[in-house]
Amino acid sequence: MIDPALIGLGLTPMSVRPGGGAEALALEAVRRALEDAAVGLDEVDGLLVNSSQGIRPDRVGTALARHGGFKQLRLLEHVEIKGATAAAMVQRAVLAVRAGMASTVVCVFGDAPLRPGGTSGSTYAKSGGVDGLRGLERASGLLGSVPTFALLASRYLALTGGSEADLCAVVRSTRAWAVANPQAVQRSPLTAADYESSRMVSTPLRVLDCARPVNGAGAVVIGDARRAVEAGHPPVFVRGMSQWHPMRRRTAPGESWFGGGAGPAVDAALAMAERSRADIDVLELYDPFSVVTLCLLEDYGFCELGQAGELARAGALGPGGKLPTNTGGGQLSAFYLQGITPLAEGIIQLRGNGGERQVAGASTALVAGIGGRIDHHAFVVLDRDAA
Amino acid sequence: MRGSVTRAQATTDWLVVDSLAPATAGALEPMYDAAAAGRLQMPFCASCRIALELEQLVCDRCGSGGPQWQEVEPRGTVHAVTTVHRHEPSLIRAREPYSILDVELESGHRIIMTTTAPVGGYAVGDAVAVTFRTVGDVAIPAVSATPPVWAHDLPVQPGDDSAESTTKEHR
Repeated sequence: MIDPALIGLGLTPMSVRPGGGAEALALEAVRRALEDAAVGLDEVDGLLVNSSQGIRPDRVGTALARHGGFKQLRLLEHVEIKGATAAAMVQRAVLAVRAGMASTVVCVFGDAPLRPGGTSGSTYAKSGGVDGLRGLERASGLLGSVPTFALLASRYLALTGGSEADLCAVVRSTRAWAVANPQAVQRSPLTAADYESSRMVSTPLRVLDCARPVNGAGAVVIGDARRAVEAGHPPVFVRGMSQWHPMRRRTAPGESWFGGGAGPAVDAALAMAERSRADIDVLELYDPFSVVTLCLLEDYGFCELGQAGELARAGALGPGGKLPTNTGGGQLSAFYLQGITPLAEGIIQLRGNGGERQVAGASTALVAGIGGRIDHHAFVVLDRDAA
Repeated sequence: MRGSVTRAQATTDWLVVDSLAPATAGALEPMYDAAAAGRLQMPFCASCRIALELEQLVCDRCGSGGPQWQEVEPRGTVHAVTTVHRHEPSLIRAREPYSILDVELESGHRIIMTTTAPVGGYAVGDAVAVTFRTVGDVAIPAVSATPPVWAHDLPVQPGDDSAESTTKEHR
């Protein structure tokens, strides 16, 4: 039986300018991932596709197999759990290889939200249509994701007594990591004054509290761990996996915007990996907005409710901190490639390829993806050690 | 040119363009029908009576199907609030920052809405009254820009009882 591992990683350059179609970018990422894994296209027998949700004319789908020169496949799926998809694809691929349904599976995400004549903000603001609840919300001025997560932030700060200083600390932490990441699109050091003077988008979220959309793509290859060694990489094993889909209701009395007890799902993934939170060397979270990092640290059981801001302000998340988090700069400072952003950084750190941002001796990573309004979670525990 | 007769009665919304008028057909149709008559209706479980989400079809407490829409008190408190500074050029008419509120109705439903006129300065926990604004020819719930009379905690300006005296300014 094949012992599946992450054996290849491919990232395109991350562009903050219009250009490149999502499908072409996705295929470039696939090419780079296969080259990294020293695996031929004709050896690939599984393809999982993750595309940006919403109304996108160029949304990548299963046609990628036909357009991308793939041969006969034993596994082909368009996986969709919104932002949780990348981690979920890895789970799907590992299970398929273990079950003998495929031997070498490519998982890919590509997106091109920046278009000529409009900002990515416009792309998101124009998405969503007029139907159903989303139509009602958009008619109320709730366009794109920023006001939505601003409401979440409003509620979170009101409930925890937190402040914008907490958000600023998260942003500055990711920027400190991004300074040392050549692939990050925002690498200049950031002071609190820089943060405070950045443009307000939707209170309390400033432009620096929001992920940086890019046109780009990322792909990973899951296959026989021995192939990684042959290609000159340490294999990165997927030792733990879980999902959690909290059903927070938009009715009183519970909280609607965050929480929902994902901690036990983190416990489950760690238990499968025979690891504990104390073993996690790098924590790679999905951080589309600064406030989300705070919510997730609490929800995932890394601190008590309302304590994440203090953790961030104390520098725990940044370089040299006790809980290195989003060590490539995350979606906030590096690039917003949805679930690929945390997944790719987990692999880079465990391979020891982090360069100036490398966390010394990193051997265990928790990679987490979220989808929707923190409605979906998918976790993978990555480890350099085989089971 | 659908609905040209009713559209003749439509007024121009202060915040968004007509093309953002929501499609009224579907799960939210009872709410839109009631709103057109000036009444606020929300869905409840027909069996155990708990408040349901607007698009919820099966009760998460008792498992019964079939939401029942009924009239609720048009008032609540601010559960969350944001002031939006970004204005998407082709969709937003307003030039100033605008409020979006997540209002927890007394019925327990939480509904995202804006205000009937450009008003800001809301905080979590504020009491608000719900009325309607019209986008295209569709009436949708909105927070009344006039402060509610039961908000006893609002400061009273001596000698001035007009609505403007307690209209809040943008932060």
